[in-house]
Amino acid sequence: MSRARVGAYALWQLRDYLKDRGRPTIIVALLAGYLGIEPLLQQMPRANDRVAPELLLRFGSASAVHAARMAEFNALFVRGILGALVFLGALFAMNGIVANDRKQGFFRFLFAKPVAPSRYYGQAFLVHWLGFMLVMTLLGAVYGALVWPVLTVPLLLVIAVMFVAYAGIAFLLSAAARWDWMSLVAVSVAATYLWTKFGSSPGPLAKLLYLLPPLHRADEAYAAVAAAPTLATGRLGAIPWPLLGWFAGYGVVCYLAGLLVLRHRRLAIV
Amino acid sequence: MIAFDQVGKRYRTLWGREVLALEDFSVELRAGEVFGLAGPNGAGKSTLISLLLGYLGPSHGTIRIDGQDPRRYVESHGISYLSELVSIPPAWRAEEALKRYALLAGVPASSRDARVEQVIEWMGLSEHRAKRVKQLSKGNLQRLGLAQALLVEERVIVLDEPTHGLDPVWTQRFREVVTALRREDRVILIASHNLDELERLADRVAIIDHGRLQRVVDVRRASAPDRGDRTPYRIALSRGAELVPAVFPRARMVGQGEHELDGLTLDELNAGLAALLARGALIAMVYPVHSMLEQQFREAVGVGEKRT
Repeated sequence: MSRARVGAYALWQLRDYLKDRGRPTIIVALLAGYLGIEPLLQQMPRANDRVAPELLLRFGSASAVHAARMAEFNALFVRGILGALVFLGALFAMNGIVANDRKQGFFRFLFAKPVAPSRYYGQAFLVHWLGFMLVMTLLGAVYGALVWPVLTVPLLLVIAVMFVAYAGIAFLLSAAARWDWMSLVAVSVAATYLWTKFGSSPGPLAKLLYLLPPLHRADEAYAAVAAAPTLATGRLGAIPWPLLGWFAGYGVVCYLAGLLVLRHRRLAIV
Repeated sequence: MIAFDQVGKRYRTLWGREVLALEDFSVELRAGEVFGLAGPNGAGKSTLISLLLGYLGPSHGTIRIDGQDPRRYVESHGISYLSELVSIPPAWRAEEALKRYALLAGVPASSRDARVEQVIEWMGLSEHRAKRVKQLSKGNLQRLGLAQALLVEERVIVLDEPTHGLDPVWTQRFREVVTALRREDRVILIASHNLDELERLADRVAIIDHGRLQRVVDVRRASAPDRGDRTPYRIALSRGAELVPAVFPRARMVGQGEHELDGLTLDELNAGLAALLARGALIAMVYPVHSMLEQQFREAVGVGEKRT
């Protein structure tokens, strides 16, 4: 009964996501994309510019050379911007997801109804994930229409997994602490720094790093789906599955820990 | 139906100082009654309500609603609850907020719109239904809070400062609402600073101060003073006001033809009134300065004494 009620409320949660968080995500993505891509496109040789003979020999025609250049440019750009977009998207999607309701007192009317906080927020996490994927699909379609087609199943899969990694951490922090977005930034910076600095250390203390998310390797995941040959062939072979599994596992464990916190932690702040 | 058994709540501030919010609070609320909760600011009323809804856990003691842990009870049955501060996301529209809460409260889809419409009418929010919460006045926001609490007729109703911000018309309407909500199998808990309101609505009132239960006043039984109680009265005369100081030497004039009489027993009061009438005075009104509940409240929280 409670499950059905909260389930039906998912449509309101999706609406909230798209209105309050999806919209800013799209605006920031478009702005960042435009500012990043415009200067690069200006520097790109035009399709009808003179082409070096060795390139013509290699690719067969001027249009093939242009297409190869665009593919290379696209791979570099997508790889670069994807990391920022997924991180910011997760930050926007999860910022205050629990903490805001606790700080502002919105929980008081919500949970006087026969609703369990863990079910309500657990569902909000999933709905925001779905909302973010819709937003990224839309952005990918716009980019594809204007610049270069990028939407593939592997790309969306990597985005989905990387979102879970960041959002899972943010969800746990929001359930447990008041300043969740700052904590997420701090955790991300600290994890990246510590892994980069001590990740290859043979000492036993380096093992403790496995408690932190492997965010220093996020680029490997993005590179795998942004690389032109992979896009062209659509093959999944280049995707680092164990790494993605690590990210997904880390995010899911944090999400479950967040639910556990919500199950046992009282909502009022005294 | 609701049992508080030696409930205490202590918490630590950010700086590690221990604060006692509630201590050894024991009382049982019976089905069918309206129970009031009175106390000065910071007495522990809101803490008690947060404990009842399971938003806080007790440091010691137990709370049971129908024999269940509060949170378990709320998650399976729900409680009609109006909080002291009405906190609804400011961007929501009034009607939208009610539709959301109705869904979560378990109002069936087939009757949800009709129920929302009903509480909108009931609380006089028709012309404000499309407004965002942040655009509502204090009184309208309070009525919206009350409306969401009344979407489902739960067996437990908790109203924290329900008439805060309401004008006299709506305060009166609120009393009618509470009267209409009375039911044999239901308990209504009202926390309020307004003792007059509690005296009109509640069957019993718990007075708490400094986190401790001071006394539980049976309002229905305590509506008239006992013979030996010393109670201050106010007396108004249409004729012969100048006779009052002679009959009641400690009387103080407080207005045109009105005097305040310091603590008198019923015998002293009646003897004095008889003397006034015998001298030809025409008495228009005699009434206690403080209501019985107010009197009890003043004693319980030590009004007039130096408070620590």
